[in-house]
Amino acid sequence: MEAKYDFEKKYREQILQCSRCGFCQSVCPVYGATLRPALNARGKMLLLKEVMDGKIELGKELIDSLFQCTTCASCANNCPSGVNVPEIIKQVRKDMVNIGSCHPAFAGMNEVLQKATNIYAEDELPDFDRKRDQKAAYVYFIGCVGAYREDEATEGALDLLDRLSVDYTLISEVCCSGVLEDVGYSLNPKLASQNLERIFATGAKTVITGCPYCYRTFTQRQEYDELRKRGITVLHISQFLKDLDFGVTTDKKVTYHDPCDLGRHCGIYEEPRATIRKIAPDFVEMQHHHADSLCCGAGGGVRGAYAKNSLAMARRRLKEAEDTGAEILLTECNSCVHNLANAKLRKQNIKIYNTTAFINELMHRKAKDK
Amino acid sequence: MDEKLKNGLIGIVGAENYSEDLIDMVSYSYDASQHSARPLCVVWPQDAEQVSRLMVFANETHVPVIPRGAGTGLSGMAVPIKGGIVLDLSHMNKILMISIEDRLAIVEPGVVYANLEKGLAAYGFFFPPDPASGKVSTLGGNVATNAGGVKGAKYGTTRDYVLALQVVLPDGRVMRTGSRAMKSVSGYDLTRLFVGSEGTLGVVTEITLKINPRPTATSTASATFGNLEDAGRAVSQIMYSGIIPSVLEILGKETILAINKNTDLNLPEVEAMLLAETDGYTKGETEYQMAKVTEVFARNNALEIKQAKSDEEAINLWKARKSAYAVLARIKTHFVLEDVTVPMGKVADLLKGIEAISRKHDIQIATFGHAGDGNLHPQILYDGYNPEDVKKMEAASADLFALAISLHGTLTGEHGIGLSKAPFMTLEHDPAAMNVMRSLKRMFDPNNILNPGKMALDDAEASFSEAGIKS
Repeated sequence: MEAKYDFEKKYREQILQCSRCGFCQSVCPVYGATLRPALNARGKMLLLKEVMDGKIELGKELIDSLFQCTTCASCANNCPSGVNVPEIIKQVRKDMVNIGSCHPAFAGMNEVLQKATNIYAEDELPDFDRKRDQKAAYVYFIGCVGAYREDEATEGALDLLDRLSVDYTLISEVCCSGVLEDVGYSLNPKLASQNLERIFATGAKTVITGCPYCYRTFTQRQEYDELRKRGITVLHISQFLKDLDFGVTTDKKVTYHDPCDLGRHCGIYEEPRATIRKIAPDFVEMQHHHADSLCCGAGGGVRGAYAKNSLAMARRRLKEAEDTGAEILLTECNSCVHNLANAKLRKQNIKIYNTTAFINELMHRKAKDK
Repeated sequence: MDEKLKNGLIGIVGAENYSEDLIDMVSYSYDASQHSARPLCVVWPQDAEQVSRLMVFANETHVPVIPRGAGTGLSGMAVPIKGGIVLDLSHMNKILMISIEDRLAIVEPGVVYANLEKGLAAYGFFFPPDPASGKVSTLGGNVATNAGGVKGAKYGTTRDYVLALQVVLPDGRVMRTGSRAMKSVSGYDLTRLFVGSEGTLGVVTEITLKINPRPTATSTASATFGNLEDAGRAVSQIMYSGIIPSVLEILGKETILAINKNTDLNLPEVEAMLLAETDGYTKGETEYQMAKVTEVFARNNALEIKQAKSDEEAINLWKARKSAYAVLARIKTHFVLEDVTVPMGKVADLLKGIEAISRKHDIQIATFGHAGDGNLHPQILYDGYNPEDVKKMEAASADLFALAISLHGTLTGEHGIGLSKAPFMTLEHDPAAMNVMRSLKRMFDPNNILNPGKMALDDAEASFSEAGIKS
C-alpha cells in the first residue's frame, strides 16, 4: 500500500519499532505536567501507528496530542528502541498542515513570519542604544525573545560584552525562522538571506548568538550553509565566555537549567558550567541535569498553543531548582528565562537570570563598590 | 457514548477527570503487549472514595472497569478487551508515609516505583523487587501483577513485601487487608490473594510495603560458556555453594549475536554468558561470595571469567545484559517477550528446548533472563504484518508454554496471564484449580465488571482470536 503521508514514507520503520515500553513517560515534560499518557511519546507513536494501519484518520482530533510536544528530545534520549520522536513529530506536523489540520496558534506563527521580521510581529527592532550594522570582528545576534521580550537579559549581555571590550556589532536582524520547522512549516529562506547579507556586510568572522535556537539554526540548517562556506564561526555566547576571566564571584548558591536546544540538541553542557563554576563556587545541580535535564515547557510552539500546560511544566522545573536550596537559577536561553519567570509565584524567592546578565550584574556591583 | 453513563461518571470525578477524546482512547487501547482494544472512556479518580463511588455506579450499570497503572504490562492485562471504563490510577500518586522504625512505606497506587526508591534512598532503604520498568511502572501495577525483577532469586518479588492493602471491591465496599505488623496469621491471607490478581478482584487504593536496608557494597563478574549444559550446571551448582547472588543473569547465543550485530560491544560469540552480582555491606563480604561464584564458573568449564575491579568495569559488564531488550526490540516490527520459569536445575533444559522450538518453527527466538530464579525471557521476533509469521509466533509460544510446564515450571514468572496466556491456563492449572479461581472471581465480582476477559476466568475456552491479537 502506498504511504499516504510523508511521515510514513520517512519514519514507518521507526514508528513500528516503538515497543510501547513506556520509558518515555518517565521523562516527558508534557506527561509530567498532565499525567495524560496520550500526550507522551508512546501515545503519539500509537496514534501514528493507527493512522498507518488505517484505523484512524490523521486530522483535527489528533492535534492536542501531536501539536503538544516541546520537541525537548528527552524521549528520544531515553528510548531503548531508538525512536527519534522529535523528528517524527516535526514531519507529521507538516503533513497535518498540508491537509489543513493545524493548531491555529501554529498557523498564526507561520503567517506572522511570512509578513513580519520577528515572531511577535513587532514593527521596530530595539537597538539597545547601540549602533547596528557596523564593521566589527563579532556579530552579536540577539534572537526574537531576547530582542522583544527579555530586554533586561539582553541589555545585561550587551553590557557584559562592552565591559569585556569585545569588538562586536548588532545587525538589523530578522528572525532566523528555524522554529517554523518545528511547528509544521518551513524555514523562511527570505529571512535567512537577509540575516546572511547583514552578517557578511559587517566583515565579522564570528557570530555570537544569545539564543540557543538561533545557534542551532545557524549551525545545522542548510539555508545558513553559506556561513560555513565563508569560514564564519558561529558560537553560542556560553562557548564564547568559557575561557574568559570576570574577576567576580557570588557567595550565593547557584543552580543551572540546561536549555533543550543547547543541551540535548547541540551537546553543549560543559561550557556554561565552566563559566558558572568560576563565578559561583557554591554551584549545585538539580535532580535532572545535562542530557536528563527537564524541559521548561516553552519549546516546539507549546507556549503559544498550550499556555496553561506550558506554565505547569515550567513550575515543575522551578520546583526542582528550589529543591536544591539555590537562590539563583541560571540558564542560557531567553525563552527558558521567559517561561520560568512567568511561572514564578510571588512567594518564590529564587531569582532567574541568563548567565550573561548575572555576570554583568556582579561586575556592575563590583565597579560601584569601588 | 451513553449520556447517562457519561454524566454519572462526571458526577463522581468531575469533567476535568473524564475523557472520551480519540487521543486518549487510542492510548488506553494498548499496553506493552501486542494486544489492543478500545475503551469507552477514561476516568482519573483522585481518591479511594471516588473509586468506591465509581465501582458502585459501574456495578449497577454493568459496565466493565479496567484498572490501569502505567500500562507497561507485557501480557495485555490493562487492555480493555471488553470495552468499558479505563480507571487510570496515576493521579493517586502520594507516598503517604515512610516509617523506618516500623520498616514500612504506605503509598497510593499511582506512585511510580522509582519515586518510592528515591524517597527510601534518603534513609538508606529500598524496595527490592526492582522491575525493569521501574522508572515508569506504578506500585499499584506492581502489586496487581506481582512484578518481579533481576533480584528475584535473593529478594523475591512484590508479593514478599506487601503487608497490607486497602481495596475497593467490585460492589464499591472498601476493605482493608493485613496489618502493619511484620507478621500476621490472622484469618485468610486476603492480601496475597489480591497481589497478582491482575485487577480482576478489586481496585487497590492503598499499599503498605515492607522495606529493606540497602546493601552498600557489590561485586560483579561475568563468565562465558561453550555449551549450554555447562552454563546450566553452573547455575544449579551456585545454589550448592552456600550463597545466593543478588543477581544471576544469562544471555543465550542468539541474543549475543544480535547484540554484536547492533552494538560495538564485541562480545565473544559463545553459547551462553552468565553475569553475577553479589551484595552486602562490606567489600570483603561481597568478594567472599563472588569467589564462591567464580569458583563454580571455573569448575564448569567457563571459557573466560571477568571480575570487575571498579564500578566502571562493573557497568561495562552489565552493558551487554542491559542492551539486550532494546537491541532485540529493533530487529523485527513485532516481538513477544515471554517469561516462562522453571526450577533452577532445569534452566539448561529450557534453553536447549527453546533452541529446538526456534528451529522447528523457523522463527527467531533470542533468550536472556534471570537464571538465578529460573525465569527466562525468550523474545520471539516476528513481522506482525505477515500472517505466516504471526502463525509461527503463536505455534512457537504454545510449544514454549508446553515445554515449561513439562519441566515442572510455570507459564509466567513475572509478566502475568492477562490476555496473552489466558488460552494456556488449563495447561498449568487442573480443572479443580481453574474451578476454584473462577468461583473466587464470581464471589468477588458476580457481574463480571472488573477487568473482564482476563486470566481465562470468565470463559472456559479463551482463544487467541478472542484474546484480540491484532497486528
